[in-house]
Amino acid sequence: MTDLTERAVRPAPPAPAAPVRARRVTPWQRAGRTLRTLATLAILFFVLFPVLWLALTAFKPASEVFSTSVVFAPTMDNFAEILGGASDLSRSLVNSVLIAVATTLISIPLALLAAYAFSRFRFPGHRAMLLAIVATQFIPGVAIALPFLTLFRALGLIDTHLSLIVVNLSLVVPYVTWLLKGFVDGLPIEIEEAARLDGCGQVTLLWRMITPLAAPGIFVSVVFSFLLSWNEFLFPTFLARTEASTLPVALMTLVQPEGVAWGPMAAAGLLVMVPMLALSLLVRKHFAQGMTMGAVK
Amino acid sequence: MTTTTSPPRRRRHAVAYLHLAPALIAIVLTTVYPLASALITSFRHWRLNETREPGEFVGLEQYQRAFTDATFYNSAWVTLQYTVISVVLSVGIGLLIALVLNRPGRLSALTKALLILPFAVAPALKGFSWRFMFNPEYGVYDHMLGVVLPFTDDVNWLGDPFWALMVLAMTEVWGWAPLIGLMLLGGLGSISPEVRDAARVDGASPWQEFWRVTFPLLRPLLLIIVFLKAVFSVKVFDQVLTTTGGGPGRATETLNFFAYAQGFSFLDIGYASAISWIIVLVLGVLAALYLISMTRQEAK
Repeated sequence: MTDLTERAVRPAPPAPAAPVRARRVTPWQRAGRTLRTLATLAILFFVLFPVLWLALTAFKPASEVFSTSVVFAPTMDNFAEILGGASDLSRSLVNSVLIAVATTLISIPLALLAAYAFSRFRFPGHRAMLLAIVATQFIPGVAIALPFLTLFRALGLIDTHLSLIVVNLSLVVPYVTWLLKGFVDGLPIEIEEAARLDGCGQVTLLWRMITPLAAPGIFVSVVFSFLLSWNEFLFPTFLARTEASTLPVALMTLVQPEGVAWGPMAAAGLLVMVPMLALSLLVRKHFAQGMTMGAVK
Repeated sequence: MTTTTSPPRRRRHAVAYLHLAPALIAIVLTTVYPLASALITSFRHWRLNETREPGEFVGLEQYQRAFTDATFYNSAWVTLQYTVISVVLSVGIGLLIALVLNRPGRLSALTKALLILPFAVAPALKGFSWRFMFNPEYGVYDHMLGVVLPFTDDVNWLGDPFWALMVLAMTEVWGWAPLIGLMLLGGLGSISPEVRDAARVDGASPWQEFWRVTFPLLRPLLLIIVFLKAVFSVKVFDQVLTTTGGGPGRATETLNFFAYAQGFSFLDIGYASAISWIIVLVLGVLAALYLISMTRQEAK
């Protein structure tokens, strides 16, 4: 199939050796090419349209939000309303940033140490622990949120940043450990052996050699950690509805008795979405691998 | 990597466990502890609005309650339908995306680069935006569908039990199908062109080539994707709350949402824990299947 399509996008060779055959294939190729282009455009539309529509709505004046027109005078009203206006979400924005940063700062060092151990050592329980780490991906969020609801109630930690950071670790630490293990596996072991022969200790080795070498992997892990914490919805609805609420949960406050405030909702949605879109484009190649926990090569 | 003499080996093990300790402690505290705690709570009567302290042990009573509770069966049925619909649509559309984009060219390169975007959108936000676009009065998708398929003009998407479930599934299909396309493009890329050339030389039509050559080679990868997608569909929560809130009636109340409602709205922690453990067990079976197929793949 590849061969066929490659030929389809290249200009037809001048004076082919078998003119009869070439003439017979060409109309098919042309039809195939057109069909593929149309299908690609359809995919592009499917992928991008909801994002574009949300972005468009965010800049619409209140009078145009409920129309499907694309011609309007863009305004920043919706952003003004959610950042300091009537339905101020700036506090949730700050919460989201704080919680995602803290979760990442705590998770990455823990995960890097564990990933290094999984990659470089064989020890009793090695395989079982790796499988257990993959298995955490299958746990439903409610099962984790419920015990923390009662625990944090007893400790007086409901609706605090700390509670969300702790619970987010359940998502991020196993995931990033697995991701980083893959990266450390790819580092040449010879460098470590040479450094060890030169009398380099374990701590120095990790800090001076592994960390810089694994920097691209650490960057990818930071992005994933951010993404998971930033988009998380179930834990904050359970544990932090008001004071420590994050942006995705704060969207709920725009669902008002008289209806959904779609203009401000779209503007807030853009705030939630844009940083993650930008980051995900940076680590695009690692997404598929990260999602399947390394099963897909 | 293990050394032959025993003292250094023991030292190496100690070093390994030392590296693992911080992450393992974090994982135990944030997943093993809550899971165990939920299991214990599932055997107790505990309504947060009645008592602050956990109540008496009731054994399996709350599990029995679930299996005699019509609303539980309803949400189990909804979850099953939802899972089948979203797995079939996501994997089917994902496969189409991969087959269409598996060629050189600037337009397909651009499209491939953008496939990741929907997945990065927070599921809660996906729910809100699809709810907006499917509003029967001012929704843009409602408009478009009305033009292309005029008979859908009168459909109240989120007010109709069947269509509400479909729209809910579509919020997830939007995020997953492109990602699955991306995964499958990776799989297609690893099939050597010679295999397909050989098929074509033997006179296979593109259709035969797909079913006899491409599909069998993709099957292990597809299997893993199906399990993975099924697990995430059973776990669905965010979009349910933001798209339909479980409605109309209970038409889109999935198991996870049901557990959430019991725990968060009715504060019946005991019952909610039992439901969440039933989900854990269901997902445990899926996880086992997934891990088995994954290790089999590794062995190859």
